Amino acid sequence: MNEWVIETKGLSKRYKGRYAVSNLNLKIARGDIYGFLGPNGAGKTTTIRMLLGLIKPSNGSVHIFGKALNKDKLSILRRIGSLVEYPSYYGHLSAVDNLEAIRRILDVPTARIAEVLDIVGLAKEARRPVKGFSLGMKQRLGIASALLGNPELLMLDEPTNGLDPSGILEIRELIKQMPKQHGITVLISSHLLSEVELTAGTVGIIRQGELVFQDTIENLHQQAKGSISLSVSEPELAMTLLKEHGINAIMNDSSILLEQTNNETIARMVKRLVERDHSIYRVEEKRKSLEDLFLQIVGEGKRA
Amino acid sequence: MKSFVRLVASERLKLSKSFIWLLVPLSPLLALAIGLLVSFDSYDISESQAKYAMLVSAMSSFHSMLFLPILTGIFSAFVCRYEHGSGGWKQLLTLPISRTALYCAKFIVVATLIALTQLLFFGAVCLAGAYHGISFDIEWAPLLMAIGGSFLACLPLAALQLLVSVSWSSFAAPLAINVMLTIPNILVLNSAKIAPFYPWAQPMLTMLTFSNDSFNGSAPTISNMLITIAGSFFVFWAAGLLYFNRKEV
Ligand SMILES: Nc1ncnc2c1ncn2[C@@H]1O[C@H](COP(=O)(O)OP(=O)(O)OP(=O)(O)O)[C@@H](O)[C@H]1O
Ligand SMILES: [Mg+2]
Repeated sequence: MNEWVIETKGLSKRYKGRYAVSNLNLKIARGDIYGFLGPNGAGKTTTIRMLLGLIKPSNGSVHIFGKALNKDKLSILRRIGSLVEYPSYYGHLSAVDNLEAIRRILDVPTARIAEVLDIVGLAKEARRPVKGFSLGMKQRLGIASALLGNPELLMLDEPTNGLDPSGILEIRELIKQMPKQHGITVLISSHLLSEVELTAGTVGIIRQGELVFQDTIENLHQQAKGSISLSVSEPELAMTLLKEHGINAIMNDSSILLEQTNNETIARMVKRLVERDHSIYRVEEKRKSLEDLFLQIVGEGKRA
Repeated sequence: MKSFVRLVASERLKLSKSFIWLLVPLSPLLALAIGLLVSFDSYDISESQAKYAMLVSAMSSFHSMLFLPILTGIFSAFVCRYEHGSGGWKQLLTLPISRTALYCAKFIVVATLIALTQLLFFGAVCLAGAYHGISFDIEWAPLLMAIGGSFLACLPLAALQLLVSVSWSSFAAPLAINVMLTIPNILVLNSAKIAPFYPWAQPMLTMLTFSNDSFNGSAPTISNMLITIAGSFFVFWAAGLLYFNRKEV
């Protein structure tokens, strides 16, 4: 049994006849870290804005914590911490006062401000006006604001935007701990697979407003396992032979490509070919990196 | 209710350390300066009530004709200013508050700032009266009604300005338009037809009821004014709420 923290059905958003997000069926499980990936303009931010009730979907529904967003918006929002696109802040106020303005609305203990500032490593800068902060510091403040209300669900839109490498690492570690330590579910968007690869349990890939992949990261790895390439003396004949034995292969120039890479299949294939006196020159494993696979998924069907 | 109070407190916090607080006493101070300079010598007025009428009419001319409408615009723009900069609406509207509550909270802050201004103006009138040695033994009700009424007359304007400021991400543009529409007050005042329906003239007209009552009875009465004020307030307020609830952030 799976209880979806976020579930959307046919979620779509149309701008002037053009779909920015179309027919999205997201399913995000409790305690999961969901990497929401897609190139620039794919519709990640638009989706997150719909999930937070900032914009109304043109079609489709959003259920969060099992409740309809358009009915129980406020009680749902109380349990969500979010950071959309770039961090918001009140420049003339200090980091503490920025958080205090939010704290008054959320009604959490004052001590929570110091806690979240500590978590994001801003405790030392807490009293300075935020307008003097660097982009990365503002981003950290944004994450602190998202954490302030002890949320059960975090939605972070490109949270490592503008952070330095050590900052990225810190935030990544922080996000990793969320489900383990606090049972928090995290939705994190990015245009880089590498950024969520190490943290996410599930990835959803969105391309031109459509969800083109949604599965666990293990299954993505599985897909990226690569293929076996075979060079033989007479590729055409070899292909026919393999077909007869029910082995799926593709001809690529003069080599044969096999998507299946389990040991038995390879062994069987080599045995058959050798039996028929084919000379086998090379058996190579062509590894696809996860990033290649991502680019391939994202690039597929790209319209001009 | 408690959460609404917290929301207003949060709005107030955002105004701390901002120059907006300097604008509140500005007009009352100017009015005080004018009030101190008023000379009663050339007029043959002995009655305290009439003296106050004259004093208030002098002090309130700039205050109610120009400053109140302009300040109302500035206050309304100011409570939206920080949200327009750096994506604040997005953060604010993902918090567990209804848009209606937020709109009301912002409006209450604007109304409070105007009320403070009026309170200080009343203080300025008293100070000027004491300076001229006018007896405090007068009928206060008409004066308080005029000052309170002109506060109420600012509210439709505040609702209208809040609507413009919420929808327009620029800080300066709504202000410039507000000032442009305030200047004609000088002319509108002379038109008995337009003046009662020109939102920017309402604070002035309500304030004038005090001096006019004391001089002659031809000006619109405060109860007539209140009907126009309530009507226009309702229209602008409803439009603002409707718009804000549908705004895409
Ligand atoms: N208010 C709007 N009006 C018209 N089109 C819009 C609007 N908001 C977004 N879009 C369009 O929707 C598409 C998706 O935008 P979105 O901001 O969701 O992309 P994204 O995946 O977040 O990209 P990025 O990685 O650059 O942040 C874009 O083509 C954008 O032009
Ligand atoms: Mg985006």
